[in-house]
Amino acid sequence: MKLIKSVVRPNKVDDVRDALEKMNVPGMTVTEVRGHGRQKGHTAIYRGKEYNVSLLPKVEIEVVVQDSIVEEVIKTIMAAARTGEIGDGRIFVLPAEHSFNIRTGEKDTP
Amino acid sequence: MTVGNQDAARQEHRAQMAALLATARDEYVAAARAGRGGRPTQVRYAAAVDDLVRGLAERAVQESMHPFVVCALGGYGRRTLCLNSDIDVLIVFDGPIGPGEERFVNALLQPLWDLKFTVGHHIRELKEFDVIDDQNPEFLMALCDLRLLTGDVRLFDEVFTRAHRGEETRAGRLVDVLLTLVDERYAEFNNTLYQLEPDLKKAPGGLRDISAIRLIRSLARDLFVGRSRPEGERLDEAEEFLFRARSVLHVLSGRDMNGLSHELQEQVAELLGVPGPDSRQRVEALMGDYFRHARAVANALAWTRKVARPPAPITEPGPVTQNVAVAADGIRFVDPVKAVGQPAWWLEAFEVAIANGYPVSDDVRALIQENVGRYTADYFMANEEGRLRLRAMLYPRPGLSARLSDMLECGLLGTIFPEFEKIHCRVIRDFYHKYTVDEHTLLTIRNLESLWHPTSASRARFASILNEVRAPELLTLALLYHDVGKWRDDDHAIESVRLAEPMLARLQLGEDDRQIIDFLIRQHLAMSKAVFRKDFGDPETVAEFASLVGSEEHLKMLCLMTLVDIEAVAPGTLTPWKEDLLWRLYVDAYNHLTLGYADELIQKNQSDRVRVLAECPDDISEEELSRFLDGLPRRYLSVFGLSAIYRHVRLARGLKDDDLHLSLEKRDEIWELTVAALDKPFLFSNISGVLASFGMDIHRGQAMTTPDRLVLDVFEFTDEEGFLRQNSGARDEIARVLRQVVTGATDVRTLLRGRERSLVLRRRREVDISIHLDNAHSRRYTVLEIVTADVPGLLYRISRGVSDEGCDVDLVLISTEGRKAIDVLHVTKQGRQLDEHDQVALKQALVRTLEATYEAH
Repeated sequence: MKLIKSVVRPNKVDDVRDALEKMNVPGMTVTEVRGHGRQKGHTAIYRGKEYNVSLLPKVEIEVVVQDSIVEEVIKTIMAAARTGEIGDGRIFVLPAEHSFNIRTGEKDTP
Repeated sequence: MTVGNQDAARQEHRAQMAALLATARDEYVAAARAGRGGRPTQVRYAAAVDDLVRGLAERAVQESMHPFVVCALGGYGRRTLCLNSDIDVLIVFDGPIGPGEERFVNALLQPLWDLKFTVGHHIRELKEFDVIDDQNPEFLMALCDLRLLTGDVRLFDEVFTRAHRGEETRAGRLVDVLLTLVDERYAEFNNTLYQLEPDLKKAPGGLRDISAIRLIRSLARDLFVGRSRPEGERLDEAEEFLFRARSVLHVLSGRDMNGLSHELQEQVAELLGVPGPDSRQRVEALMGDYFRHARAVANALAWTRKVARPPAPITEPGPVTQNVAVAADGIRFVDPVKAVGQPAWWLEAFEVAIANGYPVSDDVRALIQENVGRYTADYFMANEEGRLRLRAMLYPRPGLSARLSDMLECGLLGTIFPEFEKIHCRVIRDFYHKYTVDEHTLLTIRNLESLWHPTSASRARFASILNEVRAPELLTLALLYHDVGKWRDDDHAIESVRLAEPMLARLQLGEDDRQIIDFLIRQHLAMSKAVFRKDFGDPETVAEFASLVGSEEHLKMLCLMTLVDIEAVAPGTLTPWKEDLLWRLYVDAYNHLTLGYADELIQKNQSDRVRVLAECPDDISEEELSRFLDGLPRRYLSVFGLSAIYRHVRLARGLKDDDLHLSLEKRDEIWELTVAALDKPFLFSNISGVLASFGMDIHRGQAMTTPDRLVLDVFEFTDEEGFLRQNSGARDEIARVLRQVVTGATDVRTLLRGRERSLVLRRRREVDISIHLDNAHSRRYTVLEIVTADVPGLLYRISRGVSDEGCDVDLVLISTEGRKAIDVLHVTKQGRQLDEHDQVALKQALVRTLEATYEAH
């Protein structure tokens, strides 16, 4: 199993979610985050005053999937979240040893 | 008896107990599924559990142990035990707790745990009751419902006596503690009972409230002697309803679950036998019943609180107006008998309450409730005074939403705004909203009023916008109606607009105000969609949104509406992350509207231009109108209504060099000067200079220039020194001086020098001077934005400074925020944008000018 963490533009969350649902990815966790990568933020001006927006609002989507569909999930997320501009986000793939259903106690079930 | 025989006997006893419990539970389940899980069922079940505990205690008694009692506490003590509720027991020994006592406790509790009970147990020695621990308020409350289950009766009497010893002196503190617990619990639910998925036990209006009411009335019984309880039988009816619904929840969920969730509402409605042709209407009827009962409970608790802890007396009781007075319990009518037939006084009572921060007394609300059915909305808006007063009452300020809530409860709000009745207690089932539609609406208004006292720097940004909105009461009105269309299932914004139309007609609002409210209701979701579903990092998205909004006034109101609307969905919905996103779009759209509008000119096929042409009056030809509009920025059509546009066209007729066509009008306390002329150097600075010379304080305005040299300047100002108010010929005098200055017959600097000498020296430097120039927001112009302290004559000095540097001013936006002036000028030099050298020179010149301005003041 792998934990796939994607950091995407806020307006792309629905697209990514819809695409993953079409793939029957069973669940996901969505978190409001702030950060920056190459897109270092920008300087905004309001009423003549400059202020720096260094940490940009993004959304982190976490899914845990079987190893066999990791590549497909990554491609799906990329296709759904890409605009081609700087700031499209990142995808991280981490090993997930086990998962447990808290209610039933079942182990490693989707 | 051998050890083996003892074990067998124990097993057999436990099996008997389990069978007894199973039977009791089966009976409970059957009753709950038949909709009869109310008090009698719970009492029967509590009695069965009593037998069980007694049986276990009997067998748990050890040979060597002190006398004991086992008592029931809390809800179990009151004999109202729901199917999967905890059972709270108190075990007291008349001596030290030793190994024998410990074995007794284990032998009693272990089987209860094995039977899947959740047991809240308190083990005490009698001597611990010598001094009652005041630091454990929950335990003190639980002791109020102490009930003997089994054990030594004399010991129970002793425990009971000691537990209640000094209760008279402790009662006051207990009431305080109880009310604090109520406040904390209410805060968890955002202080509203109108929850879409209510917790039947803990939510405002729930079972905990009923227990609190009874306990307070018992603890402070002297205060309630001789008072008739306003709720009558409704408290018992509400309790029975809540018990029955809660029993169903326990049966369906198989656990101690008290949340009436969306998923279970259909089944609960069906099992309780709620009537209705389909499941949806049965759910709506169920929730309607719930809100009716919860409201009765919450009102009973509020009354109980007022009796037990009367609010601080009003410092100056007595008449406030001829018709209403303030008393200890809030606003009352001076003559209640006469007030029955004087609905205008009803509104006055709420006006005075809102303006002074008073509550409205129960008597006033009851009187209105009894009589309001005889009147309609038209009655309250029959004359202009009534309409203006109603509008003024909606100005957002602390206490407005609470009084609107009172008005809703007593039927006055629904009479004045009958369309709002359609969403009274309206339940919409979605994953996001936590409250009924009417309560959500009132919460938006509560959130708006709270902006006057922002609790964080991030919220203070939005508070500053509210400060700038010209007519915030229109925002309240738009909020009141933004969701009324939710009485139907289709596009609710469109339906809300439709329902608002009769209200706008009744209020007889001006065209501009109607247009603002229409826009806000129709587009109340637009900013939210742009923020969360579109990439507003893309300038085209911002331009599209700015085009939809049209003007910064609309933008400010829509931004505030979006903020308070999101916040009113549920606690925690408006996160700092969402606030930041909203603010970013606001800033980008604001900059687009104020700095980047110059290149977007009115297009031939633009829909709002087509509308202006279609509704053109007979005295204006299509050709004349087209000639006037060509070359003006699109912004023009967004910020001016149709009547203003046609007035401008007439004003611009037949202009020649040195002509100055003008109109001067008054709206409330604001004067508006509109000037049409052909462009010439120093025109804008001369006009603003003349206004300053007459002591006029310019608050807002804009100036536009077309490629054909048509100049249209609109200034809004206040008559600070009363020149217009005090002099009958003042209008003509201003017009005369303006013409003299524009034709060069009089030098405006001469007029102003005299004025500056007469001004008292005052220095307003609390606002820094900010001057920003850029060529990025427009292809044709350099955008000059100046934010600085507002002083009389400032605009003249800035525009003069710009002209003195050889620059032409083509477009101007003037606004003020408190003492801050925000002026945006689109300038060129010899028909092109300013290069870097020119920008530096202009900036230095303006800094010198502004420094000199403040020195002069």
